[in-house]
Amino acid sequence: MDDKPVLKIDDLCYSYGGSTMALEHVSFEIRKNDFVAIIGQNGAGKSTILKNITGLLRPTEGHIYINGRDSKEMSVADISKEIGFVLQNPDRQLFADTVYEELAYGLRNAGLQEEEIKSRIAKTLEMIGMTGQEEMFPPALSKGDRAKVVIASVIAMNPGIVILDEPTSGQDFQGCYQIMNIAKELHDQGHTILFVTHHMPLVAEYAERTIVMAKRHVMMDAGACEVFSHPEELEKTNIRPPQITQLGQMLAKTMPLTRTTLRVEELGDDLMQLYQTKHSGNNGVSGCEHTLI
Amino acid sequence: MNYVDKDSFMHRLDPRVKVIVLVFFTVIVFLITRPVLIVIMFLSFLSVWTIVERLPSAGLIKTAKFVAGLMGFIILLQAIFYTGNTYILGPVPKDVWLIGGMGIKWEGIAFGLLLAVRLMALIVLMPMVLMTTPIHLFSLGLIRMGLPYKIAYMTTTSMNLVPTFESELGVIMDAQKMRGMTIFEEKGKRFRKMKAWVVLVVPLVIGAMRRAQMMGMAMDARAFGAFKTRTCIDSIRMRWSDWLTLILCLAYGAALVVLNWILR
Amino acid sequence: MAEITTKEENGENTVVRLEHVSYRYPRTKNYVLHDVCIDIHQGEFIAVMGENGAGKTTFLSCLNSIIPNYYLGHMQGNVKVYGMDTKEHVVSEFSRKVGMVLEDPESQLFTTYVRNEVAFSAENMQVEPDEIRSRIDWALSIVGLTSYKDRETTALSGGQKQRLAIAANLAMKPDMLVLDEPTSQLDPIGTREVFDVIRRLRNEEKMTVVIATHKSEEIAEFADKVLVFSKGHVVAFDEPRKIFQDEELMKLCHIRPPQVSALVNYMNMKNAEIHRLPILLKEAGGEIEEWYSGGRKDG
Repeated sequence: MDDKPVLKIDDLCYSYGGSTMALEHVSFEIRKNDFVAIIGQNGAGKSTILKNITGLLRPTEGHIYINGRDSKEMSVADISKEIGFVLQNPDRQLFADTVYEELAYGLRNAGLQEEEIKSRIAKTLEMIGMTGQEEMFPPALSKGDRAKVVIASVIAMNPGIVILDEPTSGQDFQGCYQIMNIAKELHDQGHTILFVTHHMPLVAEYAERTIVMAKRHVMMDAGACEVFSHPEELEKTNIRPPQITQLGQMLAKTMPLTRTTLRVEELGDDLMQLYQTKHSGNNGVSGCEHTLI
Repeated sequence: MNYVDKDSFMHRLDPRVKVIVLVFFTVIVFLITRPVLIVIMFLSFLSVWTIVERLPSAGLIKTAKFVAGLMGFIILLQAIFYTGNTYILGPVPKDVWLIGGMGIKWEGIAFGLLLAVRLMALIVLMPMVLMTTPIHLFSLGLIRMGLPYKIAYMTTTSMNLVPTFESELGVIMDAQKMRGMTIFEEKGKRFRKMKAWVVLVVPLVIGAMRRAQMMGMAMDARAFGAFKTRTCIDSIRMRWSDWLTLILCLAYGAALVVLNWILR
Repeated sequence: MAEITTKEENGENTVVRLEHVSYRYPRTKNYVLHDVCIDIHQGEFIAVMGENGAGKTTFLSCLNSIIPNYYLGHMQGNVKVYGMDTKEHVVSEFSRKVGMVLEDPESQLFTTYVRNEVAFSAENMQVEPDEIRSRIDWALSIVGLTSYKDRETTALSGGQKQRLAIAANLAMKPDMLVLDEPTSQLDPIGTREVFDVIRRLRNEEKMTVVIATHKSEEIAEFADKVLVFSKGHVVAFDEPRKIFQDEELMKLCHIRPPQVSALVNYMNMKNAEIHRLPILLKEAGGEIEEWYSGGRKDG
């Protein structure tokens, strides 16, 4: 088990120019195979952090270490070999005639042989559930499929870390979950996943750890369970816990619920157990079982 | 060349004056045939830019670099193909394949220089007007001069889109950089760079087309074109300083034309 | 303020009526709307749900006659909005009655300054400048952008742009507001603020609101009725409570109910016997507390 961080943000400060800071003294570490969500109000600095990580922006002060190397010594192309970044709006990236060409682009830039490219593309398409669609014209695909093609083009390059910026914007319920399940599968395969979102139920369901940004700082960095236990703090950065968590917190005032629940099934199970306890007299529910870092 | 928000002489000029002067001087630039007079125009525009207006020059220098290449190409093209007999290089014997009979002619160089210097004058004049006139006043000026508002809006909406395109292009470039596109960071390799532009232009154009369609629809949905005329919350009024400026500019242009004729 | 168009046949305040509407876009073979029959009444808050591609945006575009007037294509059936048949009138005749807010803020902002953007529609309607200026102040205060009046539109964030788009439509003082996913760029509280604004418009200005969205929790709280599309067909048009109780429907249309409803459904699967399905947070709190304390078991 590797305990050196794959990504280390060390006292990162960033300014777009002039005296206004966009990020102030941001520090955190991401370890291999983490699944981390970054949340916070619009303007808190989430996108700025992502851009600094990928090298599109360079830190004004502080350092970013990618697999131990200082990002200052790496070009954007170097960084792109280790970190794959899926942008918010898929249409900004699609340029090719076919899905195959779209996926092959980055692989060719990386200098791979055509044989290798072909096999990687096949594997990637399988993973996103689009096998056999190599010849499709990307702009003709549905929004969900276009987003999947862009994700595929990034993961085909097999980066150790995959970052998704609001992967679910513009997607319907089904599209959201398809995309997040791809991320989950990548995570199961050993990749490190970082995603930015406004959709709290996704954070609750997928993220093992949540970094909360507020006004250019890191406000909180803990497991999702822990983070959503502090609704008053979250409100300061325009975040509300998922409705189910809010319900649990509301009920906890009058019922002996002891943990912050993140999922419908969890609260359901807890309540059923409490009911049985009350109406037949047994033990209560155990504490917060979610893993922190 | 985007609007720069300041308070300066040109900023306070009525947009109609600026539009008329812009068109007028553009015509004059093409009417005049003595390069020295155009250089005078160029220098006068430049001095207004720097001394009177104190506009930022960074954009101008960037444009100048870009245009320099274009100007060199124009001069070369004219040097070879313009009519004339005074060869300073060549002509190549007629039986040589492809370039037989071609040479560098003095007349061509002179004409090329004329075109180049005209371009130089315009790249100072046009941005100067655009940077001192907010687009909505530009549009209002055109409408008050009788242009149907639909046409005025077509021009100004496209102008408004330029900064949007610039930032879109930036985002698209970022996206491709993160897929390993490094070509733009390497020196030279002009040809490969040109090929690489496809990757950037396609999403930009598709995005632009989608957006244009949406915008047309949105404008319709907000009753654009419902009536032959429309009201406006902004207003413009010609003051004596506007009239004076207009007359002086027209006189300046006319004087140059007369000088040009005298020196022919 | 709001004109009431009565239908002689049944005396209701029907402002929109779709009769057997089917539509396909130009140069395509497949119909994207099939035999849609819908009535919308004055002052209703209608949420439109359904997966991407189900026909929501197409439906919304019928409400201000963009379809069939702007998109052409082939439409069967009639759409009557405020008594006017959309095939027989031009878009601008509907614009004064129906405001439309699109999903992408960038596509609907075309002027340099916020105040000009808001004024745009009223200027098109030849409203007097003084009146326009007071409408600008009113519209910006409703959406909470008053301090941005003289700012450039490019200086606004995505969420602010979405709110500006709403204000720009309000300047026309429409009777109906149609919105296509107006909160996609917003954080949770921003989303709630937009819904609050819309509800205020409905309550105070008596506007009819039709909004396409996926946000079930907000729909449960704000909407009077939910219109569900699936593959171009209307599969349901009912109160949120009835929609969120119908598990088959939700599965078919890939709709997610509010989490509190999903919770009670889950618990009932385990024989909890909670009889009333809550769709709101407070409701759920009350229901569960009652259930827990061994409370009522009425139907």
